[in-house]
Amino acid sequence: MIDVRLLRDTLELTLARDDSFPTMFYERLFTAHPEARALFHRSTPGAQNKMFAQKLTVLVDHLDDPAWLGRELATLAANHASYGVTAAMYPWVGEALLATLREACGDAWTDEAERAWTEAYASLVAAILG
Amino acid sequence: MLAWSLDEPERLGEVLPITGPTSIGRGGPLDDDPAPRTTLHRMRPGSTLAGPPIGSARIGRRQLVLEPRGEDEVHVRSIGPARVRVAGKVITEALARTGEIIEIHNAAVFLVTSRPAELPALGAGTPATFPYGAPDSFGMIGESEPAWKLREAIAFASSTSRHVLVLGESGVGKELAARAVHGLSPRHARPFIARNASTMPEALIDAELFGNVKNYPNPGMADRPGLIGEADESTLFLDEIGDLPEKCQVHMLRVLDGDGEYHRLGEAHARRSSFRLVAATNRSLDSLKHDFLARFTHRIVLPGLTERRDDVPLMLAEILRRTARKNPAIADRFFERRKGEIAEPRLAPDLVVRLLRHPFTHHVRELERLVWLALGTAESDYIGLTPDVERELEQSAESEVDAAELDRDTLARALAEHGRSPTKAAKALGLKNRFVLLRLLKKHGLSVSTEGEQS
Repeated sequence: MIDVRLLRDTLELTLARDDSFPTMFYERLFTAHPEARALFHRSTPGAQNKMFAQKLTVLVDHLDDPAWLGRELATLAANHASYGVTAAMYPWVGEALLATLREACGDAWTDEAERAWTEAYASLVAAILG
Repeated sequence: MLAWSLDEPERLGEVLPITGPTSIGRGGPLDDDPAPRTTLHRMRPGSTLAGPPIGSARIGRRQLVLEPRGEDEVHVRSIGPARVRVAGKVITEALARTGEIIEIHNAAVFLVTSRPAELPALGAGTPATFPYGAPDSFGMIGESEPAWKLREAIAFASSTSRHVLVLGESGVGKELAARAVHGLSPRHARPFIARNASTMPEALIDAELFGNVKNYPNPGMADRPGLIGEADESTLFLDEIGDLPEKCQVHMLRVLDGDGEYHRLGEAHARRSSFRLVAATNRSLDSLKHDFLARFTHRIVLPGLTERRDDVPLMLAEILRRTARKNPAIADRFFERRKGEIAEPRLAPDLVVRLLRHPFTHHVRELERLVWLALGTAESDYIGLTPDVERELEQSAESEVDAAELDRDTLARALAEHGRSPTKAAKALGLKNRFVLLRLLKKHGLSVSTEGEQS
């Protein structure tokens, strides 16, 4: 059972502590996988950062609402496919996300948080990839 | 009232109705909310509609508890992860008065405003079918109570054929209001004739207004219908009517009566024009002769920006949108793009906060100038509070503070000492301009022409 409250608390803490959380995430992603940059040409970095933070937040807010989550993830899967996102890219994002959260949370990051985020991300990706 | 939002800029102008203890936070209600939760609402005359839950990622699920204290104060308690400021100070608990600002750090700026729980339904003919916060079909912007009262007054005036006097300080949008009166009236299909009375040479004012036959009054003059003839079955807008010499005001009395009878200069027979005059002035009504003034059945008073601060963020957003549409370089530098389209501007909350507090004297025109100053002096790709903008705002604010300290006797003396010239008296008093002085005179129940007798 994923600890949803822990996910929300760590994400809120991250967003409240550091305005540059989405920027740090994309920097990490593009450094590790420069080829991913080409997928993000349609929006400015500022807009992309906001969309990322909002999408992540709204997903975490609705983790205990399977009906909403099902609809949202179906849309997300279709959008990602149309942008050229492949299954191989999801782990890149997962690694960059966890690393950024870990750094932003600092001492507040625990083994439980690591486990909860890893499991939650895996289940979201599984739902997206069907 | 939401004045700035990082993640939800499309919700500017929406309000959080606070009638009792209220929880504010991202998303829908939670089991352990300390008070009933509300979200942003779109408040328009006759309807107040709740929007979706707040979606900003930087606002905590439980962020604020607000509770009204009397009519003009709200108690603010910060219970969320984001820093909260009231009147510029980081707080956990504070009282915020009407006109003060509550900021959720880098997420949202709210202006505390006092409104009825619901705006009264509109009178017939008032246009209300345009997107929330956007300009209406006449380009007027605002969702505040004064903005809607103004739209209603314009609609009422336009439903009759009576002459209209539009009053307001320089830069409040008097011509826009006049165009709206014309546009809503049955005369809207005919061209709107507009002229500034202060630009007409005094010797030719009558010829300009009433027209003339060829070679009269001066040899070589072509014959012309005059503004009154041109505006037959339409609307004549005369700006700066307060600058019209008294004798010209007298000349207009007859044509302003019901039958619109007038003579072209040099012509024996009378003509008739079914025109409606919409005149505007930023001067005291004492500048108009009382019988001329009496011909204006409707008076529409345009509020200044300080009386409708709620609309400043909407105007700012529209000025920026318009600027970006016309200037691709500005759009590229200062605006986000989403899926290839121009989206919201990168606008620093500090600038919005300062503009919300600014004592505007030239209103929309001044706001436009400040926006261009911010764009022109920006050092990055953000539109923010640059040192130049700050200096400009401080200078204006200082002059406003000084103005508040001037008493009735000082004003009366300055006017008397400067030949009753408001421009000279304002300069001598160190005021920003004559409009500040005229507003002070009004506040103290004085006027340019009669104040000497009263004091």
